Amino acid sequence: MTSVSASPPSGSGPAFELPAELGIDTDVARRIIDGFITSQLRQAGFSRAVVGLSGGIDSALVAHLVAEAIGADSLLCVLMPYSGSSADSRTDAAAVVDQLGCASTLVDISPMVDAYFADGAPGGREASPVRRGNFMARMRMAVLYDHSVTFGGLVAGTGNKTEMLIGYTTLFGDSACAFAPIGDLYKSQVRQLAAVMGVPDAIVRKSPSADLWPGQTDEGELGVSYADLDRLLFWMIDKRRAPDELIELGFDDGLVERVGRMVARSEFKRQVAPIAKLGPRTVGIDYLYPRRRPGSARR
Amino acid sequence: MEPLRIALAQMAPRLGALEDNLERHHALLAEARQGGADLVVFPELGLTGYLLQDLNAEVAMRLDDPRLAALASDTKGLSAVVGFVEESDDHRLFIAAALLEDGELRHVHRKVFLANYGLFDERRFFGSGSILAATPSRLGLSLGICICEDFWHLATPNLLALDGAQVLINISSSPGRDVAAVNEVGLGTATSWRTLARTYAQLTTSFVVFVNRVGVEESITFWGGSEVISPTGATLFQAPLHDEGLFFVEIDRAEVRRERIAMPLLRDERPEVVMRQLERIVRERAGEVDPNDAGSGA
Repeated sequence: MTSVSASPPSGSGPAFELPAELGIDTDVARRIIDGFITSQLRQAGFSRAVVGLSGGIDSALVAHLVAEAIGADSLLCVLMPYSGSSADSRTDAAAVVDQLGCASTLVDISPMVDAYFADGAPGGREASPVRRGNFMARMRMAVLYDHSVTFGGLVAGTGNKTEMLIGYTTLFGDSACAFAPIGDLYKSQVRQLAAVMGVPDAIVRKSPSADLWPGQTDEGELGVSYADLDRLLFWMIDKRRAPDELIELGFDDGLVERVGRMVARSEFKRQVAPIAKLGPRTVGIDYLYPRRRPGSARR
Repeated sequence: MEPLRIALAQMAPRLGALEDNLERHHALLAEARQGGADLVVFPELGLTGYLLQDLNAEVAMRLDDPRLAALASDTKGLSAVVGFVEESDDHRLFIAAALLEDGELRHVHRKVFLANYGLFDERRFFGSGSILAATPSRLGLSLGICICEDFWHLATPNLLALDGAQVLINISSSPGRDVAAVNEVGLGTATSWRTLARTYAQLTTSFVVFVNRVGVEESITFWGGSEVISPTGATLFQAPLHDEGLFFVEIDRAEVRRERIAMPLLRDERPEVVMRQLERIVRERAGEVDPNDAGSGA
């Protein structure tokens, strides 16, 4: 396996592993994403954006990209901790806000989440961590979209390509957004771009985590490192290699099978719900318009 | 011989906003004229935007559309290539390029090779043209006008050059993709197109003028990078990636003659051989002839 180690400018040793074939031209990527953010907003009749800032690398990078594209003055970062969230997440999110000088607000989602699981939820307090995690993600979505109205900005998504492909997202939760600036970047590429853009070193270096329970890490839960997972997805999806070809390339056959299944099983999360076809012209099937066209902007 | 001054309009049309884009074309034509341009080249679907889907019919123009005539009337003493959706008399829709000269519409090319794979879905919304022909122009040079995907098929430069084109003009709406660090200038699409433009210029001993749009529609970003290549394959001009602009380039018309004397590739082409072989191959591919019985055909 060929890979290079990447260090941020302050570097005291490699901050993360970047498989060689995943290295991107960060200048070009940045230029494309900046133009993408600006255009999405302009075409919708908006000039501001809202980002849910978790303290992790994805939302930190999106906040940086949005600030670079439209100016920190036009960005609102919403911090939405739960009582069980790690204190580091809060500190790291605050560091990004300080660094960018953008507006921010903090909404503690604990009362909403706890009220539901204390009272109305089936199984109540015994609800599984996954159920609770999904509910938190959807509460955050609801809070974010409400701030989208009061701040007058579109919600910039923070999902990356790795989590979208394996379905490591909550439907109508963290995957809900108006546009997704880093949705075509694998986690390793998110780290590469984040390091170049000056996202705080502590955020670039720490183990990515959904922060749903103490000590949780993505890599621990998935049972594979992001470097290995990203390489596998790259060859599977971008380079269209069949399972036997992937195994020939040196990937573990168990991992190839498991990741292939994760991708297939999460197909529904990446598509809009099917509509029962009845009429002569049906939304999304034979009524096909671009999202943004004359008359579609807010003003 | 006076050099030929070309203006490359590397612009970002607004999707579906025909009137806005017409206005922008009028303004750019005026600016190009002021800059002393002989020829102004606009990108593919510059008058309509690219990802039209069901907007295709709403922005379509017939060749006798007064708005096209108004644009043509801005070309007195000037040549311009513009990209639009053409609606035929029998209501077929085409991705088209028109040559406007001296106030008139002189030539129309309908995109022959529609892109219909990966992120492209053109055949769903458009019909394909079936003519690849060079056109004379007031510039004293014959032009081979084609559109984007047309250039991804070898027959296009070959036929246009054999038909007399000295300047191959390709207008494009090419979406940029693949930002892998190993790519020249950081964009896979740019690397591919640059290879094509140089190869075609050299093989056809013609100028190649490539005008690609910029801007963002939905998920895709058009990368610009318009360029002009000499018949020797040398790069005469390269516009920046992603930036909008009207760029002026001067070319030496005598370069075509010099290169064709030095490198008589076109003289040595064997179109009759190509045609006979193509006839054989077409019959075989259609299953009309058993390839084992076909003989050489030459």
